[in-house]
Amino acid sequence: MASAANSLRLCLRASRQISVRPAASPFLRRALTTTAAQCARPGRKKGWKDPSDHFEFPEPYGDKVFNDLGEQLRYSLENDELTEAERETVQRALSEWENKPNEEKLEEQQIIKEIDKEFAPLRAPVRARRNAFWNAEEQDTDLITDEVGEDDFEENDMMAMGHAKLEEHREYREYARIAVWEMPLLSKFAKKFVPPKDNEVLRFRYTTYMGEFHPADRKVVVEFAPRDLTELTEVQQGKLCKLAGARYNPEKQTIKMSCEKFELPAQNKRWLGDTIARLITAAQDPTDTFEDIPLDTRHHKFKNIPKYPKEWYMSEQRKNELLAQREESLKVDMKKRRAHDLIDGVKLIQQGVLSAVKEKEPTMVRVKAR
Amino acid sequence: MSATNCLRCLKRPSVAGASRGVVVPIFAPRSAPFSTTAVQNAMPGKPQKSMEHQDRSIRVYRAGKRMKIRKKDNVDRGKPPAPGERKAFRKKIVLSNDNALPVPWVTQMEAGSLSDPKQIGKIVSLPPALQDQLRATEAFQPTQTWGLFRKPSTLVRQESVDLMSKMEEAVENKKTARIVLTGEKISGKSTMLLQAQSHAYLNNWIVIHFPDAQELINGSTEYASIPGTENPTLYMQQNYCLKLLQSIKKANEKILAKLLSVSSHSELPQNITVNQPLLSLINAAKEADGAWSVFQALWNELNAQGANRPPILLSMDNLPHIMKISEYRSSAFEKIHAHDLALVKLFTDALSGNTRFPSGGAVIAATNRNNGPKIPSMELVLKQRLAEQNGETEGVPVKDPYFKGYDDRVEKVLKSVEVVEVSKIGKREARSLMEYWAASGLLRTTVDEQTVSEKWTLGGGGVLGEMERAALLTMKI
Repeated sequence: MASAANSLRLCLRASRQISVRPAASPFLRRALTTTAAQCARPGRKKGWKDPSDHFEFPEPYGDKVFNDLGEQLRYSLENDELTEAERETVQRALSEWENKPNEEKLEEQQIIKEIDKEFAPLRAPVRARRNAFWNAEEQDTDLITDEVGEDDFEENDMMAMGHAKLEEHREYREYARIAVWEMPLLSKFAKKFVPPKDNEVLRFRYTTYMGEFHPADRKVVVEFAPRDLTELTEVQQGKLCKLAGARYNPEKQTIKMSCEKFELPAQNKRWLGDTIARLITAAQDPTDTFEDIPLDTRHHKFKNIPKYPKEWYMSEQRKNELLAQREESLKVDMKKRRAHDLIDGVKLIQQGVLSAVKEKEPTMVRVKAR
Repeated sequence: MSATNCLRCLKRPSVAGASRGVVVPIFAPRSAPFSTTAVQNAMPGKPQKSMEHQDRSIRVYRAGKRMKIRKKDNVDRGKPPAPGERKAFRKKIVLSNDNALPVPWVTQMEAGSLSDPKQIGKIVSLPPALQDQLRATEAFQPTQTWGLFRKPSTLVRQESVDLMSKMEEAVENKKTARIVLTGEKISGKSTMLLQAQSHAYLNNWIVIHFPDAQELINGSTEYASIPGTENPTLYMQQNYCLKLLQSIKKANEKILAKLLSVSSHSELPQNITVNQPLLSLINAAKEADGAWSVFQALWNELNAQGANRPPILLSMDNLPHIMKISEYRSSAFEKIHAHDLALVKLFTDALSGNTRFPSGGAVIAATNRNNGPKIPSMELVLKQRLAEQNGETEGVPVKDPYFKGYDDRVEKVLKSVEVVEVSKIGKREARSLMEYWAASGLLRTTVDEQTVSEKWTLGGGGVLGEMERAALLTMKI
């Protein structure tokens, strides 16, 4: 309820006439002063409060109180700066008011007073309490429900987590029901996959977001291989690839293009079809066949996927080969071992050390000093 | 077992701090009459400096209320290495290891041993004179494992025999073999280049070797435009030229002493008349100024027609570096293409076949994969050449019409070269190599087919450097 009242308040505020106040008289500033401008202002007493501190809705005519509508309209005609049309409207309203019988005037006045009285608390601005921490006790007038005491547990129900678990189960069961009862019915709509025929070259892709609005749901993508366009010669196909520019994928040898210019998928598809038709006619144009221009593939990054080498696959033949090699090498070793030709690093090192020890170390000899 | 340092030598005699507390007997001699050992307690009577430091530091800590940040006492960190010392250490080449065992069956390389098909799969050692020559041209590289073995030796591979026979064939026909060596990382391209040089030296060729093409283009040597050259302006690198001349002189001294000049060179710093040995021509280059003119005179003399000159081997390692824009700038601050550097141009002219050697010879360049720039033109042309040589018609790479990184000058140079791919070694070669390793005491296993197969597979199916890494990595210091 509070939110309805609030919106009403906002409406009233918007439709209110804004007063045209006379501009503040320009007061002279001293050329050189150390006093703050505010304090130097005349007519301000000690208890004066800046109106910006506590905001209130500005009354259109200041503190002036009108007894009835006629008075207000008359005042407006005399004092406000109005355009011709406004003046006419006000004049008309005034004459209408003056022509009304007195009872009606009184009644209307009464109604206005009552409305004002009713809305007085709503018009009062909501002010944060000075000592409140993070405005904790502030009322949220925008909320529909009354939050007070909502989280209190009254010992007569499951906890919230229990409810959540139950909700989860309900969801499971709902989908299980759909799977059992409704999904099988979908098979009626199943269509058999028919591979595209030779003359069906273009492959379109549409996007649907299952009825939801999405900015990309109008997008249509078309992909086709220039090779499949059999009415084109090889040179013309090459020209088509070159015309397609960065839309040509040299690895898959396809051209892919998309359109989301227009509002409807059908329009986008039409545009794509037209573009492809124009491309083909341009490719068939014999005045320049683009044969002297090499195909530009700078836009495409070729992926080098290393493959397991064929020679490394183990086959029966390869196994036999390896076995034969091993036998051969064993034979070579055996032959060398028998001939004592096999070289043993450890043994050779020992021999070397022994022969080094056998060599006599040089000794000091006493020589007569000269 | 065979580290370069003997294990007995690992205990250093000069451990001054360790024996500080030991009472030195009075009768012990201060120093031996002839000894290289450091005197352990140099001055026993002098108070120890370190204690003094300690006391002072304690006093400072206790006395002041405020924190005082004192400059630390000068710690003696020893002499910093002299300029060039670090580089010398980095480039140090050790060619022998006395702790490695000598391998009895290794023969010395002879003039014909690298071109003999019977030698395939055998290890041959480099004779000492050849070692000096190769050292002079910087053919050995510090990354190679010469320092592990008793004597520097190489494996004669199928590719080496092919390469040498190509060189010999070219000389027989008085033609120039123009070869580019390609192959995987550490597959032995530089070693192949070394073998080619060895073959050339042993057969009395003249060898001019550019050990690293990178040095020519990376802005590390001085350069100047050659007066009188326009469109394009050529640039000489005098300091590099001097270094090159000295290495040529050192490596080819014997032959150059016999060759006599056929024309007089009055423009040189030292007047060279007709019939003077070319060695004195090289000796005319004493300073960097004039080195380029001396080099040019030498090059003209070596290529003089009808003078019965020996064959020439012009070789270069790390070829891709000279196939791009160099780091040098012209006087208008425009980048200079590497082919506008006179020394590089000399090489590329020979490689492209514009220069013909009078008695034939070879121009061999090795690509590099580790540190080399990627030159799309070079890679493309070499692949095309290889496919053409193998007679392949399908799958020949073609130029990408929309790629901008190609360089016509590079393609022009390489369009007619012969590509030799230094590929993986076979198991037979691998076995002989591993037997050599084991006999040198570097491989602590029995070399049988299984071990060979294992290391061969670990080494990427016979990539020689990878095999070396798999088997000898623990030995490399």
